[in-house]
Amino acid sequence: MAKEEHKKQPDLAQNGENLFSPRFKSVAAMAGWDEEAILVASLVVEDTPDRNKVKKRSDLQFKTPPSTNSRRKRRAHRRSPISIPILVLDLDEKETAKEESEQKKVVEIEEKKKIRENELKSQDSVVSCSNPALPCMDKLREELSCAICLEICFEPSTTPCGHSFCKKCLRSAADKCGKRCPKCRQLISNGRSCKVNTVLWNTIQLLFPQEVEARKAAGALNSREAESDSNIRPSPSSSNRRDVSVRRRRGLSSNQDDNDAALAERLQREDLGRLVGRDGSTTTRRRRGAPALSQNEDAALALRLQREEFMGAFRETSGISGNSLTLARANLRAMASRAINIRARGRAV
Amino acid sequence: MNMNHSSHTGIGTARTSSSLAIATSSATTSSWVSSSGKRIQREMMELNTDPPPDCSAGPKGDNLYHWISTFIGPPGTPYEDGIFFLDIIFPSEYPFEPPKVVFKTRIFNCNVDSSGNVHLGILKDGWSPALTITKVLLAIKSIFTNPDPYNALVPGIAHLYLADRTKHDDLAAEWTLRFAK
Repeated sequence: MAKEEHKKQPDLAQNGENLFSPRFKSVAAMAGWDEEAILVASLVVEDTPDRNKVKKRSDLQFKTPPSTNSRRKRRAHRRSPISIPILVLDLDEKETAKEESEQKKVVEIEEKKKIRENELKSQDSVVSCSNPALPCMDKLREELSCAICLEICFEPSTTPCGHSFCKKCLRSAADKCGKRCPKCRQLISNGRSCKVNTVLWNTIQLLFPQEVEARKAAGALNSREAESDSNIRPSPSSSNRRDVSVRRRRGLSSNQDDNDAALAERLQREDLGRLVGRDGSTTTRRRRGAPALSQNEDAALALRLQREEFMGAFRETSGISGNSLTLARANLRAMASRAINIRARGRAV
Repeated sequence: MNMNHSSHTGIGTARTSSSLAIATSSATTSSWVSSSGKRIQREMMELNTDPPPDCSAGPKGDNLYHWISTFIGPPGTPYEDGIFFLDIIFPSEYPFEPPKVVFKTRIFNCNVDSSGNVHLGILKDGWSPALTITKVLLAIKSIFTNPDPYNALVPGIAHLYLADRTKHDDLAAEWTLRFAK
């Protein structure tokens, strides 16, 4: 048997030269494998692909670099019919194990399918379920919603007593309803210093991304409004104007308000055009008997304030002499009184 | 020409800033309205999906802030089978201010005065923004079953309730028959 093997070797070796690249061979030599070993291994691989792993492993485990014939013999011995059945037995065991695992897999897949079906059923029953991964979404939604706005908590803040609300809602509640927890009425130390509960906030963002996005978009709009609001405030007379506008809003409807403002502006502009054109000839029109109606007092005040602001701008931009300044002032006064008169007449008709 | 130009710009800035001031103030108020409106809408949906027994509530017309509510006198009380109408008016600051609840149907109860005002702790100092209209309805329901003579709005009825319960109940039943059926 060993001889036969020996006879075969040259052929195999020749084949091997074709089969393996010199580089591979050198690497194999470095690892302590001679060509024959490689060839045998490769043959085994070709014949029975399932066995190769076992074979290789056994080779790696039990082989020291082969150099003598005795090695060859041993190898031949290992390939003898006695040893093969053992391997086959091993493989059988493995195969059965594989089959079992496959069966298990099938069972698992079936189970998964069942679970999915159940999920689908539960989804059908709960229409508002947004995330199919969690069938308890509605309960979560309830748990994670703010008791004040009844929506999903946005930037939740947790009170010392353990209740969570939107930061904004909690703040407004503390401002308007006293510093007590809206849920349990326990004292909140300071509604101003409420901090976002980051863990809760992150959880909410993960669970309800759509709702959070919607709220963020709404919040961005609000903040833009707030910004424009704060941009207006710094101007010198704007605080006064705000007060006036508030007073006016109390008395009149905002629509009327806007109309009034528009009318006043138009009149102002017309008068200014005339003033600039004629340069002082309008003085005759000054104080054309203006019995300010009590209803229009607020509007008149607003007009005066606007006028003052305009005067400020006028002074800055053109830097005219004191004489023409007084003139312009007078004209403006006349303008305002005219505006009131016209409006009064318009209302009477 | 130069003066003309400058004057125009001056007015222009004045106009834009003033109109902006008006716009922002109205916007802030409207945003508040919408947030309270949102909450009221949510409460309405909640009420529709899970209505409390023996009572109903909903907007009167198009106005989301003006609701009408109906109570059926609970059995075992002198108000049995009576139908009581209530007006619920939500303030624009809701839920930071309590809703106003008024009985439109006359009722013989020490916690409801002749003009229909209801004396309930949670509708006054005891209000919390975490309370909902459902809870308010439940509290009103408790007035029917358990009037509170110690925090009465009508002392006479409270005295009668404590001194002569049967007479009180007879009178209440008579009122129910007269006004609520």
